[in-house]
Amino acid sequence: MADNASVTSALLKRTVYRNLMKDYLPFPIDRKLCARWAGGIPEGGSSIIYTSMMYQMAPMFKAYESLLPRAARLRGSERLASLGKFLFKPKRAELERAYAILRNIASMLSKSDVDFGYLHEKEPYSGAILIELGMRDEFIEYGKKLTSFFTGLGVERVITVDPHTTNALARMKEYVPSRLEVVNYLSLIDGARGEGKFVLHDSCLYARHLGLRDSIRQSIGRTGISLAEDRMVTGKGTAMCCGSPVGAVSPDLGEKIAEVRARALLSVGGSVMVMCPMCYQALSPHIKGLKDFAEVVR
Amino acid sequence: MSSEWEEAIERSTRNNVPEVWRMLEEHPYLESTRVELRKAKLRVLDNLDEFIGKTMEAVTKSGGVAHLARDAAEARDIVDRIIGGREHIILSKSNVAYEAGIRQHLRDRGKDVWETDFGEYLLQIAEEEPSHIITVALHMTKEKFGRELHRNLDESINEDSTPAEMAAAVRRFLLGKYDTAEVGITGANAVAADTGSVALVENEGNIRMTSVRPQIHIAVTGIDKIVPTLGDAFKEVMIQAAYAGSYPPTYINVTTGPSSTGDIESQIIRPATGPREFHLVLIDNGRMKAAADRELREALLCIRCGRCYFACPTYRVMGKEWGKPPYSGPTGVMWNAIVRGDSSAAHMCTHSAGCREVCPMDINIPRVLEYIKYTDFKKMEEGGKK
Repeated sequence: MADNASVTSALLKRTVYRNLMKDYLPFPIDRKLCARWAGGIPEGGSSIIYTSMMYQMAPMFKAYESLLPRAARLRGSERLASLGKFLFKPKRAELERAYAILRNIASMLSKSDVDFGYLHEKEPYSGAILIELGMRDEFIEYGKKLTSFFTGLGVERVITVDPHTTNALARMKEYVPSRLEVVNYLSLIDGARGEGKFVLHDSCLYARHLGLRDSIRQSIGRTGISLAEDRMVTGKGTAMCCGSPVGAVSPDLGEKIAEVRARALLSVGGSVMVMCPMCYQALSPHIKGLKDFAEVVR
Repeated sequence: MSSEWEEAIERSTRNNVPEVWRMLEEHPYLESTRVELRKAKLRVLDNLDEFIGKTMEAVTKSGGVAHLARDAAEARDIVDRIIGGREHIILSKSNVAYEAGIRQHLRDRGKDVWETDFGEYLLQIAEEEPSHIITVALHMTKEKFGRELHRNLDESINEDSTPAEMAAAVRRFLLGKYDTAEVGITGANAVAADTGSVALVENEGNIRMTSVRPQIHIAVTGIDKIVPTLGDAFKEVMIQAAYAGSYPPTYINVTTGPSSTGDIESQIIRPATGPREFHLVLIDNGRMKAAADRELREALLCIRCGRCYFACPTYRVMGKEWGKPPYSGPTGVMWNAIVRGDSSAAHMCTHSAGCREVCPMDINIPRVLEYIKYTDFKKMEEGGKK
């Protein structure tokens, strides 16, 4: 299993990096489809909402995951990965869900008097997958390109909406110093309201890598939503991963981790909430009625 | 994922995790102790050559014999030379001895070799590999223990026997082995550079018996276990025990050279009742190289409490298949890269970072594993192997 993981990772490294350096996309992605949610948001500006296409394309990333190990077994069949544009397209319902989430985030930001634009079809991918899979040199090279891209467009602040992008940009600053301000939308929304009691599946990146576990709970608490906690399941050192990050190198392992995690979460309560589109993809087959935070607050 | 594994990991997690929380809450001084220990261990890693030299000198001064093995093969040769024609050997659980293949090597040479740790003994008779760095037979349920003992030791024991009945059967067997053993091989939780003392922590009493009953005691350990002082060595055994879920430990053993007495005119005479020979075999096996690498050397701070295993989603699913025993789980994947040059398992890390949260040495394990993945890619490129 581990050897296969190495081979798959190597294949990812070649294909993803090449695609990113060519046109800022990890895989062939329909940019129009990704930008369709944002009608009415001004183009560009010094402060932008930055989706990195994560919500829109999360279902497609998962589809690629199942393809990659097969491609790795065939070795050299990199063309398989580049066929994704034709093989995979998010379903209409999935896209509509992503659009609704993003529109709600934008709306909550507006209500909180946050000024922002959007890059629409020019929006690049963050490069998160590179650093998460250990492709540090490639991440740095792409980071230079991405930082210049933002700087060239006059962007001074990016408002991230998912943990992978937030983490990637934080890591990028370690290697590519810049004056780009990175702020997550959760820290900007004032007055958002929601109701009900949920079990929160923490994003590993938000809760532990970025140290936001407590501030996220405070933000959620302010909306009126309450959380069901069990220290063995939702504690800082016990809350486990959804399986998604390893899905690209071993879909079977990712799937099994998701099953285990879903069982644990459901043992705490029946209404479960996530804060990441990749967590949603991993856990939603196992948890009926799973919601993203941005689906339960307004 | 076998259902037996699911059951075993679930039971162990439910038992271990709250127990560690309780111990840490009841003994708050452990928090500052672990911080001091990390600093002490970093001081050694910054000057590893010097501390190896000091340690070997101190062992010699205490009447023991210090050996430095570059790799596993050299360690086996050293152990061979010490044992010579002696036949009866007992071992207490030691990951480094396992890493060096010492038990198997001695058995291949026709020696009568027995593990004395209950879990390790079970693995020996069942011919299985360890699944956890401390609780080596973690993958075995009580029922499996019973079946293995029935098949290999005592027909009156079966899967319906109580854990106490199983322990009694193993105890009867091992007590006989302590009587006849000529050589006892242990590991070390810490080695004090200032005194040459080896510190070992345990609950079963087997380490104490293994290190005292036979006339020759060999402690086999990695150079990463060196700490500056005997005081630091006590800190390491305290923290190891607490974070493994056994605090206070039943026994802390300290060995400084062969047995001795000062009862005749206050002169130190060696040996006394215990072993007449003490050997410390320090193993490098990739550790020096890792210590020189600013990112990988973090892994050498590991005190092998095994707490990270219970916080890891990949281990939760894969068990000992993630890595290569004795080094599986989050810390084990780092150790495989260090001592075997095998980085492949690192790619299965989900970077959930629960391991980092629970590590008493504050090792940023996901970051180290990310670095191992990174270096693995570089090796692939250099070797053109993919």
